[in-house]
Amino acid sequence: MDPRFENQLLQTRRHFFSRTAWGLGTAALGTLLEQDLGAADANPGASLCIPHFAPKAKRVIYLFQSGAPSQMDMFDYKPALKELRATELPDSIRRGQRLTGMTATQASFPIAPTKYSFAQHGKSGAWASELIPHIAKQADDLCFVKSLHTEAINHDPAITFFQTGFQIAGRPSIGAWLSYGLGSANKELPAFVVMVSQGTGRPGDQPLYDRLWGSGFLPSRFQGVKFRSVGDPVLYLSNPDGMTPNDRRGFLDDLASLNQLKLQEFGDPEIATRIAQYEMAYKMQSSVPELTDLSKEPERTFELYGPESRQPGTFAANCLLARRLAERGVRFIQLFHRGWDHHTELPKQLPLQCRDIDQPSAGLVQDLKERGLLDDTLVVWGGEFGRTVYCQGKLTADNYGRDHHPRCFTQWMAGGGIKPGATHGETDDFSYNIVKDPVHVHDLHATILNRLGIDHTRLTFKFQGRHFRLTDIHGNVVNQILA
Amino acid sequence: MTALLARSKKNYSCASPPSGPSGSTALRCLFPSLLLATALAAQTVEFNREIRPILSDKCYTCHGPDASKRNSKLRFDTEAGAKADLGGHLAIVPGDAAKSEMLRRISTDDTAKRMPPAYSGAAKLSAREIDTVRRWIEQGAKWQGHWSFISPKRPPLPAVSNQAWPRNAIDHFILERLGREGLKPSPEAPKTSLIRRATFDLTGLPATPSEIDAYLADSAPNAYERMIDRLLASPRYGERMAVRWLDAARYADTSGYQSDGERSMWRWRDWVIEAYNNNMPFDRFTVEQIAGDMLPNATLDQRIATGFNRNHRGNSEGGIVPEEYAVEYVVDRVDTTSTVFLGLTLGCARCHNHKYDPLTQKEYYQLFAAFNNIPEFGRASKYDNSPPYIPAPTREQEAKLKALEPKVAAAGREWVALGPELERTQRAWELTLLGGPSSLPAWAGPEGLLASFPLDEEAAGPSGRAANFDGTRTFEGGNTAAFGFLDKFTLSAWINPSSPDGAIVNRVEDKGDGQGYALILKAGKLQANMVVRWLDDSLRVESVEALPLNRWSHVALTYDGSRVASGVGIYVNGAPVKIKVLLDELNQSFNVKKPFRVGGGGVDTPGFRGAIDEVHVYKTALTPDEVSMISLAASAGSIAAVAPAVRTRAQSMKLASYFLHTAAPAHIQQAWKRFEELRKQKDTLVAGFSTVMVMQESPRPRDTFVLVRGAYDRPGDKVTVGVPAVLHRMPADAPGNRLGLAKWLVSPDNPLTARVNVNRFWQMYFGTGLVKTTEDFGSQGEWPSHPELLDWLATEFVASGWDVKAMQKTIMMSAAYRQSSKVTPELIQRDPENRLLARGPRYRLPAEAVRDQALSVSGLLVEKLGGKSVKPYQPKGLWKEMASGDYEPDTGDKLYRRSLYTFWKRTIAPPSMMTFDAAGREACTVRETRTNTPLQALTLMNDVTYLEASRMLAERMLAEGGATPADRIAFAFRLATARYPSPEESRILKGAFHRYLDRHQTDRAAALKLLKQGEHSRNENLDAGEHAAYTTVASLILNLDETVTKE
Repeated sequence: MDPRFENQLLQTRRHFFSRTAWGLGTAALGTLLEQDLGAADANPGASLCIPHFAPKAKRVIYLFQSGAPSQMDMFDYKPALKELRATELPDSIRRGQRLTGMTATQASFPIAPTKYSFAQHGKSGAWASELIPHIAKQADDLCFVKSLHTEAINHDPAITFFQTGFQIAGRPSIGAWLSYGLGSANKELPAFVVMVSQGTGRPGDQPLYDRLWGSGFLPSRFQGVKFRSVGDPVLYLSNPDGMTPNDRRGFLDDLASLNQLKLQEFGDPEIATRIAQYEMAYKMQSSVPELTDLSKEPERTFELYGPESRQPGTFAANCLLARRLAERGVRFIQLFHRGWDHHTELPKQLPLQCRDIDQPSAGLVQDLKERGLLDDTLVVWGGEFGRTVYCQGKLTADNYGRDHHPRCFTQWMAGGGIKPGATHGETDDFSYNIVKDPVHVHDLHATILNRLGIDHTRLTFKFQGRHFRLTDIHGNVVNQILA
Repeated sequence: MTALLARSKKNYSCASPPSGPSGSTALRCLFPSLLLATALAAQTVEFNREIRPILSDKCYTCHGPDASKRNSKLRFDTEAGAKADLGGHLAIVPGDAAKSEMLRRISTDDTAKRMPPAYSGAAKLSAREIDTVRRWIEQGAKWQGHWSFISPKRPPLPAVSNQAWPRNAIDHFILERLGREGLKPSPEAPKTSLIRRATFDLTGLPATPSEIDAYLADSAPNAYERMIDRLLASPRYGERMAVRWLDAARYADTSGYQSDGERSMWRWRDWVIEAYNNNMPFDRFTVEQIAGDMLPNATLDQRIATGFNRNHRGNSEGGIVPEEYAVEYVVDRVDTTSTVFLGLTLGCARCHNHKYDPLTQKEYYQLFAAFNNIPEFGRASKYDNSPPYIPAPTREQEAKLKALEPKVAAAGREWVALGPELERTQRAWELTLLGGPSSLPAWAGPEGLLASFPLDEEAAGPSGRAANFDGTRTFEGGNTAAFGFLDKFTLSAWINPSSPDGAIVNRVEDKGDGQGYALILKAGKLQANMVVRWLDDSLRVESVEALPLNRWSHVALTYDGSRVASGVGIYVNGAPVKIKVLLDELNQSFNVKKPFRVGGGGVDTPGFRGAIDEVHVYKTALTPDEVSMISLAASAGSIAAVAPAVRTRAQSMKLASYFLHTAAPAHIQQAWKRFEELRKQKDTLVAGFSTVMVMQESPRPRDTFVLVRGAYDRPGDKVTVGVPAVLHRMPADAPGNRLGLAKWLVSPDNPLTARVNVNRFWQMYFGTGLVKTTEDFGSQGEWPSHPELLDWLATEFVASGWDVKAMQKTIMMSAAYRQSSKVTPELIQRDPENRLLARGPRYRLPAEAVRDQALSVSGLLVEKLGGKSVKPYQPKGLWKEMASGDYEPDTGDKLYRRSLYTFWKRTIAPPSMMTFDAAGREACTVRETRTNTPLQALTLMNDVTYLEASRMLAERMLAEGGATPADRIAFAFRLATARYPSPEESRILKGAFHRYLDRHQTDRAAALKLLKQGEHSRNENLDAGEHAAYTTVASLILNLDETVTKE
């Protein structure tokens, strides 16, 4: 018999024994919050033969910068542009490639060089602008990919593409794929947690959508759970006023007794699962507040992440929470920081935005490193596309703006089996086209999955007759950046 | 490791099968083996049931319908291809397994020769699969066309030995299959279970105690049938049926991309509810939704029905390439239509020929052509509906309009009849004016004047004084005229410019291309601007001719609030002038803090040089006649001096209006006022009609092309409307357009539509379709659990005249449906998903029923049919943290409407609905899914919706539930479960109650806090401690597994 089939049969048997044992069957727990129950039951992906090979990373912290940060004001240093200030973007560079409707009809496309100074940092000599001094200091831990490119030219399709591998809504997000494939390593927390924060550079922009952490056609239990900074960290987590945890415990015991009677009478294993889920809910009522309670963090932590890390809901506070989630075994932690869409007044907005994220991002990497977590935690930082070298609107002495630019942009990664202190890929002198080692969004996904021990061509789900993948029919692992 | 990495570099086709099973839980693995066991027991291998799925999943990628991927003559999607001579050898030699190359290649251990090859990513065939193929070949390799592409034939009822059990045809098929499996059906469920189950299934609500009592008391043999008939006649039936249709039709209240602005499609939603309640035959239901607008003399309802194909998302994001999204909308229509009606994954043929089903890319675009000929623009409106849309009055509004119209007409007739008298009296009045100077009473001119600035300063104006502007001066008019892009308005002024560039009137921000509206002079031309963001969110029009300098001209700008350039008018000296549209991309409202300004403002235009007089602002779009009136500087007195025969139209209008408003006899003024008032009433009523987006044919047909790789900018061959060759032909009398396609969908020859739709009905009642893959009836779809039953139901549906209610009744009348849902461990092991139906259905209620039940049993539910969507409770800040603008919950009745009326924002869907597995409404969803999670537990325990319902249920317990705790608990328990608690349940509940009571009577502060949940007032006469204790018991009951389960 095919050994894999044998394995399935075994699981099937185990599944039924546990489900038909009237009571708290172990597999009954395995819905939203999968848990380690030994090798075979460790995750739903076991039936997908995951891991496909030895993983380098056990979890991912993805710091998504929504709105698209300007690569040439932060990472992609283009000194020659100074000379070309206000001159027209050469046709040889633009090559008739499409632009957004916001600038396509603009009469001219004047070059807007960055107004920020750049320097090289660390042993690796990575370039970074004055706007991100803390990230710069961390350069030798980071791998800068300067040659990312995407297909979408507007926010909604582009961010949906980054999150799901497809521009149109309907497919599972990367975190949902991973919780489907890997399950959770913590029985009291979800496998996939999302946190959002507002940028100070351009408050209220851009909107986010539930689908960015949705489960698409995968069962809904794989969707990301949003941890919020106002109200309950998890929706409906708190008991109503007037009800103590002790009251709730009594209530749950009463509920379990009644549901047990039903289970005995009807034998439906779903009843056992429901009893278990109420227990899990009760556990979450204490484990989540414990997680979000930062009062026991030492002073040094807040120094590392910066003063804003004391303020709930900021990117800094979310970075700190990300580390706490990572410590507790959450597989995929994704932060979304809004406010990067700098079409106009970039010099006013970008510095504020950079201040939001600089120290916390660097602090997170440093903190993970100090705790020995960086080795098996993959940190990814970046937005959905880049920004144009030409100015959107009027270029003036102290002001410029940049439109969307899907053809090249920079992201950085750290830890989790990615080469530290490296730079990958190169763009032309205008940061407009890639001249070396292009990395497509699908390639990035393939690489992230690879570090988690997953062959991206084999993490599939059959829907509408087709075996879907996160990487659609594309994607190549970027071997050059693997440690 | 190296090998694995090398493999991952390979780009497979998008159909590459996985190496592991696709299911996420081990549970999925059991059922195929259950079927397999049946197959092994059966004597002959059936191609469609056992062989095609193997060929499709393992071989079609390279040996399937897509010619571009075939490297050899061998193809397994056709019989000829599979049995073709491959040059001395054959893949399949019927009857001779040893000579069949295929068998050798699938079973060899030589990995270099084995099929499917490792590089394809497809797993090796299992030993059982290989054995099945071997036996099939040995038995003669009998081929069959794909089952779902062959028209269903009404099968005979299978003979069954147990004659007592079957109640109708359905049961023969179920029983025969159970017999083959060695299983027996379960006994009938108790009456209380039956009424609760049927009431949820047909109305989405729990049965009330009085309904239960009536049913229990009805001892007639047809009591059950009468109960079903009553439910089918309830208006709640249409609401229940509509919910699943809304999921399929991806209905929502917002547009779905980026800022996800509100739209208005609820009139279409109400059309669906009404159609179900009126039992519209399914063929008509289909034709009207696909092409109601193209039916002869299409009614308003038939046009509203076509909203089905406009429910897709619309992208209004700044800077998109409209052509790209115009394609996506049509793609969505093709995908949705093919899933909902045909159960086909036609979307797979957008970029290339289908990998599994005999559907070509060209055929995809032939269907695309049917939905492509609509006058729409790829960039959707940011707020409200995108064209084409129509006003869609509710029934109530229609009735009001019908009542009003004759009144308006009568008042109009009365007014017209006064014409001669009016003329006579006016002439007489004019003559009195000629007699000498008299002080005439003031009249403000047309209605709607919001502000006027006479600017009576040092300069000489066209009449009286005017103000000089030197290019540096700005006159500020204060915080008035704060118009948005949906407001009607008119701006007018007399101007005498000395320079060809300058600001006239505006409200704009002082930065380059700042937000706001402005009327300016630009190179001598009058230019109107409305800007939110330059260039992609702005409107700009200008006069073709330049205005003369150093001369007084009256200028006016009118705007009708339509968001488009065609809604803008520019007038010079009372006459509309020719205008040129420079930009027509306005998509949202401007937000301006600067005041209304004259002669200056904004940084893009210099200050006005010359003189300006009499600036007027109206909050209406004046008609051309009204503009011509206000452009006359001449007073009524001086017009009266002009002989009637030589007066201009404007002069006559102004004089007549003046007379009517200031000097006409009272009865004439009253008749005018009556007419005006009624007209206004009518206008207000009509303006209040919600609109609905509809399908409409472009007068000039738009060409459709095959899109190479599916890309909007890579058109290939031109195609016209057509249907896939593998299916039946278009009916002879059907036109080659969308209407023809609609008729084709419900043609009696269509092998899919009836099967696909009865299968979804089945899913509503049993939780799973007879074909589990409700969205895919193609070769990758699942083989039906009861193929003959499916065909029986499909042929019955068509034969009944597509009678939807009759089909629901047929299913509900079956003994299969009425079985008890109790289950034994053995049966769970045999049939975990209950596909064989040896027991009744038991699974968690759908999301909307979970909430509706809580509202119903607590007495909070407001049963109002239809209307604008409502906003019930939702945790604070959910919208704000992710987008702009926040969710403002409604108050009062709107908090307690059924969940199908809940406002559905696609990008941030109602969380408690999503937690209970509601479809997200971003794309068509036809498969029902159910999970069981701790988040559901938290919602039921802590969401204010359920806490308030518990509090109100507790009030009912105290008011209606009897005198003792036991009675009151039993009362609530029965409301939620339709039965009385068992002694043991009662004991637990009473024990719980007394503990809660002790707790709340000692801590009254806590009790009072607990009773604060929700907006509905509390009966303060009740003892707080006791009320809180009953509230907790009520919450306990609402959290029971049985309460949230259909049993």
